[in-house]
Amino acid sequence: MSTNHEFFLMQLADSFFPSGMFGLSNGLESLVKHGRIKNEQDILNFIEQQIEFQLTTCDCMIFLIAMDAAKNENIEELVEADNKFYSMRLIKEARNTSVRSGSQILNCVIQMTLDKKETKIAKEFQMKIKSNETVGTYPVCLGIAMTLLRIPSESGIRMMLYSFSQSVIAAAIKLGIIDHISGQKILTKLSDKINIISSTIKKEPLYNIWQLTPLTDIFQMIHEHDVSKMFIT
Amino acid sequence: MDLTLKNKKIPKVGIGGPVGSGKTRLIERVVPILIKRGYRCCIISNDVISKEDAERMQRILSTELKVMPENMIIGIATGGCPHTAIREDPTINLAVIDEIEKKDPSLDLIIIESGGDNVMTTFSPALADYFIYIVDVAGGDKYPRKGGLGIESSDLLVINKIDLAAHVGADLAIMKRDAKKMRAEKPYVFVNCQTGEGIEDVAENIIKSILFDKKPIIKKDQKR
Repeated sequence: MSTNHEFFLMQLADSFFPSGMFGLSNGLESLVKHGRIKNEQDILNFIEQQIEFQLTTCDCMIFLIAMDAAKNENIEELVEADNKFYSMRLIKEARNTSVRSGSQILNCVIQMTLDKKETKIAKEFQMKIKSNETVGTYPVCLGIAMTLLRIPSESGIRMMLYSFSQSVIAAAIKLGIIDHISGQKILTKLSDKINIISSTIKKEPLYNIWQLTPLTDIFQMIHEHDVSKMFIT
Repeated sequence: MDLTLKNKKIPKVGIGGPVGSGKTRLIERVVPILIKRGYRCCIISNDVISKEDAERMQRILSTELKVMPENMIIGIATGGCPHTAIREDPTINLAVIDEIEKKDPSLDLIIIESGGDNVMTTFSPALADYFIYIVDVAGGDKYPRKGGLGIESSDLLVINKIDLAAHVGADLAIMKRDAKKMRAEKPYVFVNCQTGEGIEDVAENIIKSILFDKKPIIKKDQKR
């Protein structure tokens, strides 16, 4: 197998890749503001809980479904997964950002891989977004992008969990809760958990997908009405 | 939908500059002139820690002056990275532009305001077709001489708050000399956003350089 997918994985996981994620704290800003998260341990706990009760059971499942559907050129399944994920995003800002980020990632990867025959399904999905037949959420578009770049699903899951963790940690550093060394320590502590999930996760049918992060959801809803905020959500 | 408008890309002006230089005030002054000339505009305001600027423009341009609808002024919080949002990763801005182009392709212009940033501000070419960099004289008359991407590479340099020059010991002649030297043939304008002095020149530059003097697109039964 070509090792080029490792290069593409680094490219997608790089904070320099235009995904719009730098503007998200994933609920952290509001939790910090209200004194629910105060230190390195709190941040580690928060990321672990989000991974366990949201990313692994919902975002990653949608991503795996999208990867398979893209491989099989099953546009109906892609649209179904996309709409399901959109309907499960309770926070308006998070929903909008997922769609804005997803559609732009898809466009970027299509432009990067114009010469590949696999772009057909990506372009078809993009047309569905343009004609308002679907929305283009982040995990679905990322799943299509990973398929286009022939990145294995295990690596894709690892990247998703890493990117989420890195995004929360970057927000924590910007908010002044932790320093840059603490950020790297948190990532290191997360590595075993992320690796285990990546190598053991199995795709579930769409009807089995769930998420349960009520506290984060409530604080993100409060955040939507805050007058002063650094992050989109 | 008018099919000729379906794939139309709306021209985009990016406005960047340091915190407090007058980016928002410049937009509040220029937009009514453009609208009076028949051009329909939309504004995207990137703000570092709030949507304060967008809300202020909604209050002034929509509620008080009634020159444009409130939903044509969109605020984006950038998470403390104003330059990232307009240059390295303009994803969210581009997505919002896609939404605007889909919603109202008959618009003549989109104005994108950056969050307050430093002298190295530039816009991604994917985001802005025309770049205005604004500084104010209160930062000292050394500003144009110091250079930086904003001063040197912008399509139009705007030097604001000229009324304050005497109070802060800034010499406008020096600023003019240095702006000319640093920018070669590229234009610069001295303005006072508070009184409106020089704002017509900014509007003229936008119309000539990015709208190419073309007449605004007027939709049937469209109130401007």
